[in-house]
Amino acid sequence: MNSGFVEECRREWERLGVPSPVANEMAAEVAADLEEAAAEGATADEVLGSDASDPRSFAASWAAERGVGRRSTSSERVASRAFGLAAVLALSAIAVCGAVLIIVGSPSGSRPLVGPPPPLPHNAPGRVQGVWVTPIVQLVAGPKRDILAVDQREFLVVDKTDSGVHTRTVGLVLLIVGLAGIFLSTLFSLWVGPSRWSRGRPLIEDRPTGPTN
Amino acid sequence: MAPGDGRRSQLLRGVLDLCLLAVMEEGPAYGYEMTKRLRARGLSIVGEGSIYPLLGRLEREGLVETYRAASDGGPPRKYYRASADGRRALAAGVSEWRAARDALDAVLGGVKTEAAA
Repeated sequence: MNSGFVEECRREWERLGVPSPVANEMAAEVAADLEEAAAEGATADEVLGSDASDPRSFAASWAAERGVGRRSTSSERVASRAFGLAAVLALSAIAVCGAVLIIVGSPSGSRPLVGPPPPLPHNAPGRVQGVWVTPIVQLVAGPKRDILAVDQREFLVVDKTDSGVHTRTVGLVLLIVGLAGIFLSTLFSLWVGPSRWSRGRPLIEDRPTGPTN
Repeated sequence: MAPGDGRRSQLLRGVLDLCLLAVMEEGPAYGYEMTKRLRARGLSIVGEGSIYPLLGRLEREGLVETYRAASDGGPPRKYYRASADGRRALAAGVSEWRAARDALDAVLGGVKTEAAA
């Protein structure tokens, strides 16, 4: 049991980035104490108290108190959660924008104008025997619109700056980015868990505090 | 956990560093040795957290000095002893403890526990 406890501690120290010499020293210290206690017939509880049942918490606490591990403060945890929430909200907003653009850019919501040509003066240039000539319609529609002839009496005016196809593409990209971001964020938060999500920086660097021989 | 257990833990948590510094006054000791010294005075850590994180904090704060030395027939151990700052902290802490204890005794000392039990 004792070696298993120490190995669990080692793994936690490694995860926390505790320098190997320090981790080895702490492991040797607790291992020697546990061995002595076992030789005297004492239980691990008498050496470790309630920590005997939770080696990872024990190891993290010890490393943090020595200043060689990473343990986030409450303010860092709050900041991390706020950051995570803000990221999810931003991704949600992106996804919603994408969905809106897809709806707006869909054929039922597009802006092309289909119908008879607008009235032009009878003697307007370009009107030839009732046939609308594209350059003239283009002149009426303006430079920012494309003219797509349907037949001789109907035409399609499409705003070049707001193409339905282009809008839908942008919307689709935004929707995919937003949903993928939310999905990956959720997976990441589930994978790391609340404790790892809020892992902080080392509190202070390790430093010797006495004449360790 | 009974309510009394939680209170005992909180009380102990507030003074366990002083207790460790106090048992070091008897001479340098390694972790388990300090646990045994505490137990010999009736203070068991069973049910409480271990003393190692606390020793780590005392070490980080410079209140203890450490060194490695061979133990009796065993592997080299890490011994702890109070530094000069540690002894001053112990003296100040014991004064605070006694003042708090006296004040609490003045409030709680007259309560008859036998009647409630």
